Amino acid sequence: MAMLSFEGKYRVRGGTLVGGDLFDFWWGPFYVGFFGVTTVFFSLLGTLLILYGASLGHTWNVWRINIAPPDLSYGLAFAPIKEGGLWQAITICAIGAFCSWALRQVEISRKLGMGYHVPFAFSVAIFAYVALEVIRPVLMGSWGYAFPYGILSHLDWVSNTGYQYLHFHYNPAHMLAVSFFFTTTLALSLHGSLVLSAANPAKGEAMKTAEHENTFFRDIIGYSIGTLGIHRLGLFLALSAGFWSAICIIISGPFWTAGWPAWWGWWLNLPIWK
Amino acid sequence: MTDKIEGEGDDAKMVSDKVDTGKGVLFPVALVVVAGGTLLGISALRGMDRPPVVGVQRGFRGTAMDQIYNPRTINALASQLKIPKSLPPASPDGIKAAVAYKNVQVLKNLSVAQFTRLMVSLTNWVAPKQGCAYCHNVANMAWDGLYTKVVARRMIQMTQNINQNWQSHVQNVGVTCYTCHGGNPVPKNIWFNSPGQIAATGAAETQTAMAHPSGVINDSSLPYDPFTPYLEQASDIRVQGTTALPTDNLHSIKQTEGTYALMIHFGQALGVNCTYCHNTESFGDWSRSSPARVNAWYGIRMVRDVNNAYMNSLHDVFPAYRKGELGDNAKVNCTTCHQGLFKPLYGVSMVQTFPELRTTQTAVLASATPSAAPTLAEAPAAPPMQPAGPTPATAPHS
Amino acid sequence: MAEYQNIFTRLQVRGPLYAGTPIEAHTAFSRSSAPRFSHLFGRLGDAQVGPIYLGISGLAALICGFIAFEIIGLNMWASVGWDPVQFLRQLPWLALEPPAPAYGLRIPPLAEGGWWLLAGFFLTASILLWWTRIYLRARALGLGSHTAWAFAAAIWLYLVLGFIRPLLMGSWAEAVPFGIFPHLDWTAAFSLRYGNLFYNPFHMLSIVFLYGSTLLFAMHGATVLATSRYGAERELEQIADRGTAFERGGLFWRWTMGFCASAESIHRWAWWFAVLCPLTGGIGILLTGTVVDNWYIWGQHHGLVPDYPATWGPVVDPATLPGAPK
Repeated sequence: MAMLSFEGKYRVRGGTLVGGDLFDFWWGPFYVGFFGVTTVFFSLLGTLLILYGASLGHTWNVWRINIAPPDLSYGLAFAPIKEGGLWQAITICAIGAFCSWALRQVEISRKLGMGYHVPFAFSVAIFAYVALEVIRPVLMGSWGYAFPYGILSHLDWVSNTGYQYLHFHYNPAHMLAVSFFFTTTLALSLHGSLVLSAANPAKGEAMKTAEHENTFFRDIIGYSIGTLGIHRLGLFLALSAGFWSAICIIISGPFWTAGWPAWWGWWLNLPIWK
Repeated sequence: MTDKIEGEGDDAKMVSDKVDTGKGVLFPVALVVVAGGTLLGISALRGMDRPPVVGVQRGFRGTAMDQIYNPRTINALASQLKIPKSLPPASPDGIKAAVAYKNVQVLKNLSVAQFTRLMVSLTNWVAPKQGCAYCHNVANMAWDGLYTKVVARRMIQMTQNINQNWQSHVQNVGVTCYTCHGGNPVPKNIWFNSPGQIAATGAAETQTAMAHPSGVINDSSLPYDPFTPYLEQASDIRVQGTTALPTDNLHSIKQTEGTYALMIHFGQALGVNCTYCHNTESFGDWSRSSPARVNAWYGIRMVRDVNNAYMNSLHDVFPAYRKGELGDNAKVNCTTCHQGLFKPLYGVSMVQTFPELRTTQTAVLASATPSAAPTLAEAPAAPPMQPAGPTPATAPHS
Repeated sequence: MAEYQNIFTRLQVRGPLYAGTPIEAHTAFSRSSAPRFSHLFGRLGDAQVGPIYLGISGLAALICGFIAFEIIGLNMWASVGWDPVQFLRQLPWLALEPPAPAYGLRIPPLAEGGWWLLAGFFLTASILLWWTRIYLRARALGLGSHTAWAFAAAIWLYLVLGFIRPLLMGSWAEAVPFGIFPHLDWTAAFSLRYGNLFYNPFHMLSIVFLYGSTLLFAMHGATVLATSRYGAERELEQIADRGTAFERGGLFWRWTMGFCASAESIHRWAWWFAVLCPLTGGIGILLTGTVVDNWYIWGQHHGLVPDYPATWGPVVDPATLPGAPK
């Protein structure tokens, strides 16, 4: 594939973490690197295992395919391949692929002289995944608590896991996570629209500047966080959403076994109004 | 010049005026955040659980139909549970109670030995400290002047009715007085009509019967009286549509919140979560539910029967100090028997050795031949305790 | 390794405060509240706070919003008998509920949902006036109206939940109550009543765009911060005249996943993802109860429901058995 007009001057050697120059090349637009190879390995193997798992079920309907973790009775042991073992192998592949991807992002960041914000951000997403599939099951003593691989089956898992605590909306970390998700989306819409509205002004107007952006937000709410600050805020909000999602599921089970509404008893029983 | 931050001499002086280091702001802010966070955090985290926890799988693997327990809580519950030993069986032979004593209305065809054994057991179950005098005038045992005696008679009828006509719910395990009373003259878990929140009168919207924390609804803000409409009256519990497209299902969100409140009561009463009965992908679908849901369905009808035919029939018998704030008599709900356990007394069947509590036929004085009641040859079949909660319905990977 | 990653401002240099681009001549309002610096704000973003422009629509929006806030708050306070301690203690539980279903679309007495209608009216007025303000300010400053239309997408979801769907259902009772925990109860009950909202395809789409927006902002925010040493935060400059910051940021994604956005197009991705979240969500809510009564059964008809092996023998609804108790 042809390179972008300016791409050539950035395609330089170096920045790799592992493998020296051996894998330091591009394939079309993709950078390869050692972790590109491991990414391909894990994701290909994982995908094939998913296809194999689907072939064992009764359906090729993509919505209904379900590859489930083992029964609770297996605890943290390996299960036979058709009784959850496949799920275990796929999970290993997924974690391998995700971590390879993050490390490949580190290599690319180094190559381009960038900070490590992107791989760090992606690590938070990996943490949320690992929290669901590894940390919580290990804390509870069985792989069977993890979510299954399937579009609707994982939603059924979410539903049942929520109702294990009678009313999951009362989980304080879930409240935080949802609030962060909504706030991130609000902030993204505000940021996207502000930049677009300055770059695409009203008919007949010249393109606007950051001063106009600042003025617009100061006029509206009395404060403009600024061009740099909005990206800090956006990253913080987005990562908080992922982080608190992970926390909200880690505490459900290992650290709270009753209904989540009852958790708020501590507030009702604070000594200040007892 | 304002962006110049490094320099010498005069330039440096100018710079020091133009750089805000935040001294005097950061520290107090950090202090308040850390101190406040710590205080709230300690209050909030105190009552929480910790690993290890135990789970009981009740559905296909990966569906998350699991009961999750803190084993320390369960063990504490189990160790509190005391099940009295049954007295040795009494002979059915000999003169009948109705003949020997005056004013026997319910237990007529028991032999005197059986009658006495039941009366002693009943005392142990309900009034162990107060003794016979709790219900009887010991100078005239037949006298109905004490309200407790009238209540006790009705409660024996209720117990017999439950065991005979509600096997769909209590199955062979059955109930005795001890199931609810547990050695207390008044069962620990009963309910009265809720007087509601102390609210202002006038034009404000204050009478919504919801949106205040209450223990019976797990401290949620759902309707705080799930008992009157569903366990005394027979309001619709089923609110979900049974067809994909709208037909004639007019149930509202508010009714759904009422059903939800009732279901939360079930969960708390049995120490289980929603997935004990339901695959929550479709709450209403019986084909995706566990058999426990059928049992619960009969339980709802049983509790209504108990409240209307028995508890409410005693309204005028109970003295005022036994009534609720609104002057209503005590009523039962799921917690009255279950007391946080998926099966009352963890499924120990005390009624096995009290066949007279399993039939309403004791009120019929049979002819001279000995009672045809089942014999008591077999030993009480008390299943072993299961402190880890409900057993899985199937051996999962067999 | 420990390297400054520009996640907060280490050194705050104080230039002059900025009054804003020149205000239009024909307005009766001017920018009020003299601007000042705040060190804490400056740690994360711009240190300047203020000035603010009030304007007629802004003033009206604030007044309407205040009235709605007072109606909700005072009703909640009354529901604990004007006890200030209980008001604070129970605040997350308290509600201003919509009228009972029996009222349909009629106007109920104040104490039985009338206050809810009034609060809803004033809140809606406040939101619509705020939309006007956003639109007018953008136009007054010569900007495009993108923010106003993005806000309109959120208003669409709000109106569907509180007005359009109740109207179609013929009952105010269908609407969401005001209150922290009560609106969560409503959300759960809504899914329970209509047979599991997870099977609603528009709900699926809405969540995809919610998570997608979060993913996009993480990617975009992280990329800009990671290239901020090259001036990536000057996005408008990079749109007009691409520099090394966005060349690097773009190449990062091209090398990572094979393609990349430009300084301008990433904001178009952002705008659409963020806008489609409430847009699709609103459609999903609007269809619920009006067009579809049970999403799970709808999913069964359309081949969505996973097929789990049976764990128990057949379980039959006891109400359908002969001689069943009522």
